[in-house]
Amino acid sequence: MFKRSGIRNDTTAGWLFVSPVLVILGLFLFIPVIMAAWVSVSDWSGRGSPFSAGVNFIGAKNFSDLLVGQGLTQQDFGTAMRNNVYYVLLVVPLQTALSLWLAVMVNQAALKGKGFFRTAFYFPSVTSSVAITVLWLFLFSATGVVNKVLSYFSLNGPNWFQDPRGVLHIILQSFGVQPATGGARILGISGWEWFAGPSVAMSAFIIMAIFTTSGTFMLLFLAALQQLDGEVSEAASMDGAGAWSKFWFVTLPMVRPTLFTVITLGLIGTWQVFDQIYTGTQGGPSKTTLTPAYLSYQAAFQDQQWGQGSAIAFILFAIIVVMTIIQRSVSRERDVKPIKAAKKEVGS
Amino acid sequence: MRKRPVGFTLVAVYVLLIVLAVIYIFPFLVQVATSFKTEPEAASNPLALIPTTWTTAAYKTLFANSDFPLWFRNSFIVTVVVTLGRVFFNSLAGYALARLQFRGRGVVNALVIAVMAVPGVVLLIPKFLVINQLGIYDSFAGMIIPLLADAAGVFIMKNFFESIPASVEEQARIDGAGTFRTFWSIVLPMATPALMTLVILSFQGSWNELNHFIVSTQSPSLTTLTKGVAQLASGQLSQGTQYPLKLAAAALMTVPVAIVFFIFQRRIMNTTSGAVKG
Amino acid sequence: MTSITRRHFLGFGGLAVAAVGLSACGGSGFNEPAATGSPDGSGSPTGFETTESKITVLIGSSGAAETKAVTDAVAAWSKDSGVQSQVLPANNLDQQLSQGFASGNPSDVFYLTTEAFGGYAANNSLQPYGDQIDAASFYEALVAAFTVDDVFYAAPKDFSTLALIINKKSWAAAGLTDADVPTTWEEFSTVAEKLTTATQVGLGTSPEYQRLGVWMAQAGGELVTDGKATANSQACVDGLTHIQELLKKGTVKLTTDLGAGWGGEAFGKELCAMTIEGNWIIGALQSDYPSVEYLVAELPAGPSGQGTLQFTNAWGLATDSKNKGASLELIKALTAPEQQMAFAAAFGVMPSVKATGEEWKAKYPEQAAFLAGADYAKNPPAGKGITAVISDLNAKLEGIKTADVKALLDEVQTNLEAALG
Repeated sequence: MFKRSGIRNDTTAGWLFVSPVLVILGLFLFIPVIMAAWVSVSDWSGRGSPFSAGVNFIGAKNFSDLLVGQGLTQQDFGTAMRNNVYYVLLVVPLQTALSLWLAVMVNQAALKGKGFFRTAFYFPSVTSSVAITVLWLFLFSATGVVNKVLSYFSLNGPNWFQDPRGVLHIILQSFGVQPATGGARILGISGWEWFAGPSVAMSAFIIMAIFTTSGTFMLLFLAALQQLDGEVSEAASMDGAGAWSKFWFVTLPMVRPTLFTVITLGLIGTWQVFDQIYTGTQGGPSKTTLTPAYLSYQAAFQDQQWGQGSAIAFILFAIIVVMTIIQRSVSRERDVKPIKAAKKEVGS
Repeated sequence: MRKRPVGFTLVAVYVLLIVLAVIYIFPFLVQVATSFKTEPEAASNPLALIPTTWTTAAYKTLFANSDFPLWFRNSFIVTVVVTLGRVFFNSLAGYALARLQFRGRGVVNALVIAVMAVPGVVLLIPKFLVINQLGIYDSFAGMIIPLLADAAGVFIMKNFFESIPASVEEQARIDGAGTFRTFWSIVLPMATPALMTLVILSFQGSWNELNHFIVSTQSPSLTTLTKGVAQLASGQLSQGTQYPLKLAAAALMTVPVAIVFFIFQRRIMNTTSGAVKG
Repeated sequence: MTSITRRHFLGFGGLAVAAVGLSACGGSGFNEPAATGSPDGSGSPTGFETTESKITVLIGSSGAAETKAVTDAVAAWSKDSGVQSQVLPANNLDQQLSQGFASGNPSDVFYLTTEAFGGYAANNSLQPYGDQIDAASFYEALVAAFTVDDVFYAAPKDFSTLALIINKKSWAAAGLTDADVPTTWEEFSTVAEKLTTATQVGLGTSPEYQRLGVWMAQAGGELVTDGKATANSQACVDGLTHIQELLKKGTVKLTTDLGAGWGGEAFGKELCAMTIEGNWIIGALQSDYPSVEYLVAELPAGPSGQGTLQFTNAWGLATDSKNKGASLELIKALTAPEQQMAFAAAFGVMPSVKATGEEWKAKYPEQAAFLAGADYAKNPPAGKGITAVISDLNAKLEGIKTADVKALLDEVQTNLEAALG
């Protein structure tokens, strides 16, 4: 079909080859974003086309309702943000640390049964979030596995997925701190509520996220470690470095690029909590597992507040983009030196 | 610290890793065990891996009295078509971006990168609007077409094609083979490792996909496993806890991805890294 | 980089043009929303043309029995009328209706909840047909639940009230007799205490306004009275404080703390000796917990007399239905007294028409308490925005045991005032 007509001129073939992907991505990624942008500033009521004559431009009202509206809408959004912030703050560092630690452990030359351990740690990652949530609902139910195990240690486990108490509140109150009332409200939520910490129910989801993602990230670290193995670590052992200092001064700088990849992927992922909430709790108990992603779905698909749902989606989008940019610029600054140094060392 | 006998450290490491491995595997064993228990036993004795009274009631209910077989079929159809489509379209585009010189390649490249930055969950509402406008809402077309290409997959293929030497295909082209033929019969066979990665990722991705199916369908005849089981779990279809039933459904839906995982285990352990890096 | 950015924008522009083109050609699939309150925007006097189009009926079914009964009834009507039809049990009624309305291709006939009613009426998704049916044959309170601005939108399908369900075995075990069935709050507290054992709590009920609201009603409180928010009235505070005291005492527990999904499950598993539920519990107990023997009693009276809540659903008709004439005929057939009695037999609902009252009572004497409740039952407030307030209240009620009742209701009051405008 495309007879050779000079290697430098593949225009027709090139466009033909990329066109299926372009059409699909364009139709289902770019156009949706544009449509949602319109819906988020319109008063479309969810009946008929959002482009029909009866739909009006209402400016940033949907956004202002969410951000400064002083109503239930703002409170719900604030609650969802609070919940998700704690989720991110706990999941990202913990999953990163655990997966790096697992990778270092299963990468030891002397270790037997590496394949078994890698498989065991990775397996939860292949299952769907729906299946794992169903399993979690059982494990963490009032009479479930977790509470049974806790009972062996004479501990009375909470009714996890029904318990709206904030973990920080529980800790604070055990020290006799009384709930503060009043004070300034941020996004419709009082200071005391912001400091609730993740609820007991959300904590179960946090544990689940760490459980399911640590395997994937372990593989990323493992790949990085395997690339560096050999000379570097041998050199280090000859220097007589102990295990801890070897990890701190040799391994960690080496895997820094992967570390940043993992943190970026973690940040992007943890702001998109939806499947678990849809399957498990629908935002309950007491809205403590409500996330912006689920709130966006709920507003649009359950309550026909399509504009508001789209506005939440855009705010979420902005958060993720800003996080990624900050994260990238930080990593770029820090990356340059260690990588050069590492390359030199590996090359020498 | 390094003076400590090697044996001791190793034993400690083994113990720690074994405990962790048990924590990682045990939930799945409990899942399978509970699916064969009676409901009261599931609540009274959640830890036991061997049920006192074996019952296959949960599985009977799933296969005889629910839409589970239909969900399974739907998931299977979608997954197979999406996987085949992704492998083909992504490698076509990846090849073009890696090898073919054409006007606008830079723009396309930039677009694909930009697309990768769009988080999937924020597209829930707009994707529904577009699917709806296109008239493919509540159909297999609406479930499948939007998933047929993914930017990350294009990147995996592009990176791979860039890593293999151009000499072979240039020889073929000098011999007069067309671009598509060169791609199809010379380049693609060399790309088997990357294609396998893509198959694994696409299979896993589309089998486990939930939110796209929520927004693209409404009729019960198009419900997939993820959507069906999610609804089962949230009690929209049933009353009561019914843990054996739910866990049986969850266990069954894990089987295909588990099979794919064990078949391609070696490859997953070695190439996921390359995949995600792209 | 700059040149790429510019071309990048060209790319965007192209896609934007495509988007507009798409909407232009896709637009034919949509009907413009009706500009005014006129039923279907076409200006035709009836708007209920009958076409060949197949009718779909979307139902939020409580289980297999209900699905089968509705499917059979619709199929029988299809056979008589010659109009093709299909019953779809919804996985998620609200979501499927929202998507249907947005796609311009909703189910023709569907279960309409009071919660969703206000929103659907406001954006003209609902075809009002109250003037085409005999409104006077339904209970007035039910008609009121589906009326906005004097327009009666949809025929109530059936209804139920909340009553006290008592486990007979536990009752006898605690040494109680029929004479002890509580009629006041004090008597209730006494029996709840007697029924509380090591393995069973006196009353188990779910933490939602749709259950706990009965205590507010018995104290004479309502969230909304005559269109005004009255959530933090003394009566509401008293009602909620009373149940909170019982919760603190441990003779009443929330289903969430009992590890059950709803009152019926907690009752069936005998985690509680009493629960507060509507007559849907009868079918569930029959199918899931046939060995549990129960007794249905009216709820006790509070300081302001008897009080309960009632719930109803209607048959909604979509404005975008392609076959409104036949749909209306189907709805008439489904709300006919004898058909409603058939549904009552199949899945235990109470007919929404007055005509069958005596017949129903005679047929189900053991459930008479449910129908008796209709005399003093209150409708939970509904309408656009109010649903969100109530679901927020329900979220708050999950923590009712330790909550500051007055502060909780003050917040509800603020939210309600905002929602009522």
